[in-house]
Amino acid sequence: MKHIDVLIIDDEEKFAAMLSKRIMLRGFSSDICHDGGQALEWVADPDNRATLILLDLQLPDMYGTNVLTEIKKIDPAVPVIILTGHGTEKDREECSRLGAYRFVHKPIQIDDIVAVLGEIGEAKSQ
Amino acid sequence: MIQQVKGTLSQVWPKFHRHRHNAHLHPFHTFNDYWRLWTISICILVGTALIPLFIVTLIHYQLIQKSVDNELELRAERLTATTKSAVSFFMQERLDALMFTVREAGYRRLSSHRQLNEILMNMKLGFGGLLDLSVIDADGDQIAYAGPYNLEGKNYANQPWFSESLKKRYFVSEVFTGYREVPHIIIAVSSKKEDGTGFILRATLDTERLIQKLASYKTGGHADIFLVNREGVLQTPSVRFGPIFSKTGLDVASVDQHVIVEFNATPDGRADILFGRTAISTNLTDTPFVLVVQKEKQRMMHIWLKLRRSINWTVGVCVFLIVVVVTMASTLMANKLYELDNAKAATMLQMEQSQQLASIGQLAAGVAHEINNPLAVISETAGYIKDLFEYTDGPADRDEVVDNIDEILAAVSRCGTITKQLLGFVRRFDIRIRKIYLEKMVDDVLSFHKKEAEYKRIAVTVSMPDDLPPMETDSGKLQQVLVNLINNAFQAVDEDGCLTIRASMPEKEQVEVVIEDTGCGIPEENLERIQEPFFSTKQEKSGTGLGLSITYSLVKKLGGKIFVQSTEGVGTSFTIRLPMKLNQRGAA
Repeated sequence: MKHIDVLIIDDEEKFAAMLSKRIMLRGFSSDICHDGGQALEWVADPDNRATLILLDLQLPDMYGTNVLTEIKKIDPAVPVIILTGHGTEKDREECSRLGAYRFVHKPIQIDDIVAVLGEIGEAKSQ
Repeated sequence: MIQQVKGTLSQVWPKFHRHRHNAHLHPFHTFNDYWRLWTISICILVGTALIPLFIVTLIHYQLIQKSVDNELELRAERLTATTKSAVSFFMQERLDALMFTVREAGYRRLSSHRQLNEILMNMKLGFGGLLDLSVIDADGDQIAYAGPYNLEGKNYANQPWFSESLKKRYFVSEVFTGYREVPHIIIAVSSKKEDGTGFILRATLDTERLIQKLASYKTGGHADIFLVNREGVLQTPSVRFGPIFSKTGLDVASVDQHVIVEFNATPDGRADILFGRTAISTNLTDTPFVLVVQKEKQRMMHIWLKLRRSINWTVGVCVFLIVVVVTMASTLMANKLYELDNAKAATMLQMEQSQQLASIGQLAAGVAHEINNPLAVISETAGYIKDLFEYTDGPADRDEVVDNIDEILAAVSRCGTITKQLLGFVRRFDIRIRKIYLEKMVDDVLSFHKKEAEYKRIAVTVSMPDDLPPMETDSGKLQQVLVNLINNAFQAVDEDGCLTIRASMPEKEQVEVVIEDTGCGIPEENLERIQEPFFSTKQEKSGTGLGLSITYSLVKKLGGKIFVQSTEGVGTSFTIRLPMKLNQRGAA
């Protein structure tokens, strides 16, 4: 059973690696997927569980909204933050409809992610 | 008041006479030559209005002319007939009187000078028109004479009328001078003495009275009424042909007792003389006279001329009014067209500019994506180095820090490349003719779609001849054309599609660019409409419907041509042919 705090799905390797390292420096666990297929495999694995997923919209193999749809099919409860370089208003609406937790433009503030993790922890404990 | 007049005048005054050529607006004008439009409109409208008017007037003219001619002919015929019966009666009456006298008095009484004088007196008292009487025996000797001339003892055996009179019972002569040397007409009746030899009772007609009788029928002075003999020699004076015995040259040899009226040409060739003819005869004998009535048409036409003048005036006023109204209406129409066309051109120009902005905006979105990714890398890497100081005791590994700083620098230079590319791209939108390398420009435009192509796995193929020389053209316009067509292609192509951009030089100084996609294609019914402004099939409101319309006008401005081929579900290919060097005047 592998339970991590943050799953980062992003094709920009350097960005994902740095973000992951910073999250871990703050005492949380994290994992990285570089494309949609890999990410869905990770989520579909019954041994894996993530508290929060960070999802980029532009992935080399599939579009982020499709990945989101699939994730929600497997685990409807998991909060997904959409992280995008230039998501359009249309994308924002689509993601919100599909049940995304938040829609955030790059670059992001790491503290925001930590704050969200705190929110989720509080919501669970209540 | 003056303001009102000025306002009205400005409506009907051609506004386009102050039209100045505007290189920016010109390609969007539907009409180029408003003067020509105005003139053609006036010509067509005036023609349409005036041709029927002229035709109707002409028909009217001819109808009136015909009825006037008929009327004149009828009047001339009536006058000829009336005059004929009057002259015939004049002759008949006197022949009857002579016959009565011969029968009543007999040769014995007639040969007595005194009694002959008495008979002449009675005749003059009774009905007049006779100048003298004489009795001539079969040898031509004058037996008795009563009258003003002393002609007793004359012998008429050699006179042509004498033998004629003897042959016929009744005789009417032509006008001749004879012994008395004044023009006169004789009428004669021959009879037999008791011994069986013949004699003639001859009377001289008062030609003056005949002339007066003829003159009394000249109404209004337009008519010329006279008698001629069968050779056409005047027997009474004529206004046109002169005094008695003048030759008229009229051919009357075959004229019979019927009244004939016809139009004859005057010597100057105008058919405007009414010519009525008939032979004069009595119940008892024919006469050598032919009655001629001539009427000058022109003089009888004053009513018609008056009518024609008023028709001409009416038509003239109508023509003037039509021309004025048509000119005003055409000006009004041309003015409205001019204003609308100007407004349309201005709107189109504005649209072109906003479309240009929109396509720059579209590019900017692509650029933002390209920049945001390296920015995120910078942000996270720098954040990580900071974290090393905040969450640990400082970096344990010096090389790791240097590596991370290198990453930051690499990301910064990535951003720099992109902004430079964008700047260069935007700078080319200003209107200037410069040297352009087509391949470079196509690559630049494609670079903003790099990510999209990657995500949608679109295979982009660019094939250009290696020896393609640089073009000299309006870079902004060409770039906009490429941006529009390539954007459209990307929007049309689904995942795993193909986009091919080919260039070739089919002719010297001409380049052909084909942009071909394997997208959704354009339905045939829309193919003809794609260049219409505001025509869009994009369901969501992302399309203004101006992209292709402006692309078409831009290609036109670049002196080129654009063609489209499309099959629904298979793909679309746009072909543009452009001159290698843009002629400045052609660009205007």
